[in-house]
Amino acid sequence: MTGPYSINAEDLHAGYGTQDIVKSISCSFAPGTFTGIIGPNGSGKTTLLKAFSRVIPASGILELDGKAVSDFTPAELGMALGFVPQDEGRPFSYTLLQVVLMARYARTSRFAALTPDDYARCHRVLDETGVAHLADRSIRTLSGGEWQRVLIARALAQDTDVLLLDEPTSHLDLAHQSDILTLLRDLAASGATIIGVFHDLNLAALYCDRLIMIKNGQMVADGTPDKVLTPEKIREVYSAEVVTSCHPATGRTFLMPVKAINGNVSPLKSLNVQVISGGGSGSGLLHFLTGRGLSVSAGILATTDTDYITAKVLELPCIPVLPFSRIPVHALEKLKAMLAQADRVVLSVHPIGAGNLPVLLALCDMDPARIIIHLPEGREFASYDFTKGTAAAAYEDLCAAGAPCTSTYDGILRLLSPNLNGDENHETRNTN
Amino acid sequence: MTRTIPIIIVLTFAAILTIVLCTLTGPAGFGIPSSGPGAADIVGSIRLPRVLAAFFVGASLAVAGAAMQALFKNPMADPYILGTSSGGALGASVAIIFLGGLFVPVFAWAGAVIAILIVWSIAGRKGVISVETLLLTGIAVSFFFSAIVSFLIAIAGENVHQIIFWLMGGFWNASASDAILSACILVPAGLLLFFMGRDLNALSLGEETAAHLGIDAAHARWSVLGASTLLVAGAVSIAGSIGFVGLVTPHIVRMLLGPDNRVVIPACILAGGILLVTSDTITRTFFSDLPVGIITAFIGAPFFIWLIHKKGETL
Repeated sequence: MTGPYSINAEDLHAGYGTQDIVKSISCSFAPGTFTGIIGPNGSGKTTLLKAFSRVIPASGILELDGKAVSDFTPAELGMALGFVPQDEGRPFSYTLLQVVLMARYARTSRFAALTPDDYARCHRVLDETGVAHLADRSIRTLSGGEWQRVLIARALAQDTDVLLLDEPTSHLDLAHQSDILTLLRDLAASGATIIGVFHDLNLAALYCDRLIMIKNGQMVADGTPDKVLTPEKIREVYSAEVVTSCHPATGRTFLMPVKAINGNVSPLKSLNVQVISGGGSGSGLLHFLTGRGLSVSAGILATTDTDYITAKVLELPCIPVLPFSRIPVHALEKLKAMLAQADRVVLSVHPIGAGNLPVLLALCDMDPARIIIHLPEGREFASYDFTKGTAAAAYEDLCAAGAPCTSTYDGILRLLSPNLNGDENHETRNTN
Repeated sequence: MTRTIPIIIVLTFAAILTIVLCTLTGPAGFGIPSSGPGAADIVGSIRLPRVLAAFFVGASLAVAGAAMQALFKNPMADPYILGTSSGGALGASVAIIFLGGLFVPVFAWAGAVIAILIVWSIAGRKGVISVETLLLTGIAVSFFFSAIVSFLIAIAGENVHQIIFWLMGGFWNASASDAILSACILVPAGLLLFFMGRDLNALSLGEETAAHLGIDAAHARWSVLGASTLLVAGAVSIAGSIGFVGLVTPHIVRMLLGPDNRVVIPACILAGGILLVTSDTITRTFFSDLPVGIITAFIGAPFFIWLIHKKGETL
């Protein structure tokens, strides 16, 4: 079939030797789109890209601009499709310009010299990729990132409507990543078909209109980044836990890794832990305990608090309140109910003022044995007291009443599992 | 690029000058001997064919070396890397031992070509072959043939001297027909490689890259290998396996002119010829015709080391 597609693949199989690495992939790419191919290591992303460019033998239907790719002569293919490899050996000291000029071979007779237009085109792409100042340098003296930009420049100099890129930003620093990806997105906007393999999912989500996710050589998802990059798909394909959010500056889907599924999950999985924190004191702790597989709840948190953002991103239950205002009675009642339900309470020592003092006092009414106090190394209760002594006294009362105190996250884990290594008092310390 | 054309012109004049001067030089003295029976024949029928044969053989080896280095993406490759020299040596040894030295050139040529055909057929068995597979197969076949040659040397008895001289290479028997034969190979093969300069450039970055740049990589590879094989087999059948010229001339040329094969190929033809004619003239004039392979390495190696020091690491 011919459609308005630059590349059309149906039931495509490809691989090295007898083994198929790409198995029955069907997909089409329209002009003016920027597609990212994502998937774990060894899933067949590069093989798929090279099958498109005909350097790896493939079976099935593969068309370029409505014409079977196998019907193209090598030179025709070089004028229709550009390819940026992950890396390329540099055995000889060509200058950058010489390497980029090779892009024009497909358009020039072997008996003719390159024209001034060819040179102008090459100088322009060197400029666009930010390596023009190195034009006469030997490629062997370039850094990995500079060389990667030369490879991109060379593909651009081919002036093709289709551009395939294999991890084009893997060696680039932050600024050059965004320069190159912006350049590619602008090319797509002007009608080119751009297909890139990406490992950085956030970068892919930020720039691509469409993502194709593959696993074991098969397509498992195809769509806009927000449709493809769901925690469920990431778990299925990458065996990794992420939370998705909206990038605060761009509005695009944004992933944050939480933990690997097969990571260090503690045997405390079913334990219901209530964390009381504030002023950012609990962010790391909430993440740590969630990552260990515990069932974690956050407490009363002002909506401007970093802890609140952490709780929200990790999808933990919490009681949001307005910042800089007294804690409403109903919020406090709700917290007391949560405290009653929790197996254990972890008090991350945080600044206490008149506003949040009632929370601390509510803890003092509890059985201190159910509370674990986390006080960072080298800090004292007094330094968190903004109530002229009341809060510090409350903290110390809790300690004195037998609530164990630790300075490390691992200490908290040990205190949460007294039956596992028995020695609960080992971690407690006297803060008097 | 700006200094390329002047350097090629200078090399062309240097090549012509070298041929003329070396034809006028010999153990009988400089210039055209004015007296003595057959004195003029020394220049016309002994020196000139030998000088021309040496020039064409040097050019063949250097240009084949440059092509192999580009194809194998490896500046350490030499024209014999796929087994031409060991195959040629085996053929020559067989002719020396069993045929009393008759047909040495024919046997050497056949040995060289057979070695390459064996490498191609082994490496090509699985359909898609990489240049790396080809290279490793060539090295393995080379060692195998060298082992047989070593065995023949061990049992050769009185012929050992002849085999060893052949292995080091020289132009003792070079005739007008040798000069014509090597020119007949060099002209078409050299032209082919010259017009494939851009294919060699692209191939030297990898076959996939070449394909992505619109080069017919498989076709280019076989053309380069075919042309190089003919050049080297011809050189080996005329002069034995002369070392160093094919490996180092391309390096010297790249140091002076850069790695663009559209320039390297013609420059290697001129420089390889100059290097070998000069070496051969030195050995026949001053060293009572020692194998020229000794001289090429003896002069070439120090010059090469000096160049490495001067130019740093840029190859």
